[in-house]
Amino acid sequence: MVCLLLFYEFFKVGLFSVGGGYATLPFLYHISEIYHWYSARELVDMLAVSSITPGPVGINVATFAGFKSAGLLGAFVSTFAIILPSFLLVILIYKLLNKFSENFYVQAVLYSIKPAGCALIAAVGVRLFHDYILRDISVFDIHRLTAFIDFKALFLLVGLLVLSIKVKKNPLLYLGISALFGILLHLKSLF
Amino acid sequence: MKITIREIYLVFLKVGIILLGGGYVILPLLSKELVEKRNWITKEDLVEFYSISQCLPGIIAANTAVFTGYKLKGKYGAAAAVAGMCTSPFLAIVCLATVLGQLTKVPLVVDIFWGVGIGILILLLLTVQEIWETSIVDKFTLFLFLIVFALTVFCTFSPVYSIIGAAFAGIIYKLIKRRVE
Repeated sequence: MVCLLLFYEFFKVGLFSVGGGYATLPFLYHISEIYHWYSARELVDMLAVSSITPGPVGINVATFAGFKSAGLLGAFVSTFAIILPSFLLVILIYKLLNKFSENFYVQAVLYSIKPAGCALIAAVGVRLFHDYILRDISVFDIHRLTAFIDFKALFLLVGLLVLSIKVKKNPLLYLGISALFGILLHLKSLF
Repeated sequence: MKITIREIYLVFLKVGIILLGGGYVILPLLSKELVEKRNWITKEDLVEFYSISQCLPGIIAANTAVFTGYKLKGKYGAAAAVAGMCTSPFLAIVCLATVLGQLTKVPLVVDIFWGVGIGILILLLLTVQEIWETSIVDKFTLFLFLIVFALTVFCTFSPVYSIIGAAFAGIIYKLIKRRVE
């Protein structure tokens, strides 16, 4: 039963996520809120592992979420289900490739789903920003900002942001630096 | 030149193993494996597949794999390509998932994940920036972006409805625009 639900949910993720691997996140958050197969906290951990493991992030995180929900079979079902829409859609598009680019409705849909997909990813960004940088808003006090803002996280974020403006985009660079920063903080906390 | 299903599977298995850090690196990687080393498809075809894959729903790497596999050997080629690409991530994640519960109790791992989380935040930002540049082209697309953004941040609104809603809004807008013109 869980596997049928998994198939249905991850098929939807594959069919509606626009903008690549990270675009699956809003859907995965939504799934965690409805089914409680995994918590939002676990999703963030899964995301961290998926980003530093070989393979497309979207597939990694789907496999992960499936495994969390229903073990090995769940992992297989969710991976299969997230890929299936790609498979069917791409073959359909391939056959229509010449007509595809001229079709009025296809163009209208492609024109409008990308901004929506972009907004969904941005919204996940806001959520992660809230999780990582801001602490409990209820304790907000201008004189005790450290209780409210995680300055170490903010420092790393701003540092990476400056770097991203100056250096060519290479995802591994950011992940490597941020992992290293985590290790350094850990070592510092030991002494 | 005869390309077998097995060869397609193996090449994409390799791509799945090397691919690290998300969609950005898939194009140069496939270009090296399929165009330069094996001469299976042309660079132009690959770039076209990749750019269409970015517009379509689904994981970009998987879409590109299906396109390439289909071009090489029909639907079996497509299945081999996408299966090859998923094999190593699947195995790696299943192994890691069994120990994640224990891993997240190790303080060092918690700190590394904390750092990586902020790295991911930057990657999300870069993804948004990249999609923004090609998709927010006029007032209507900006309006769609803001509506979906607000609905998702402030309400627990299903992303599926956002995408379907946006698709319909796009069709209606284009129909009205065509009529006006």
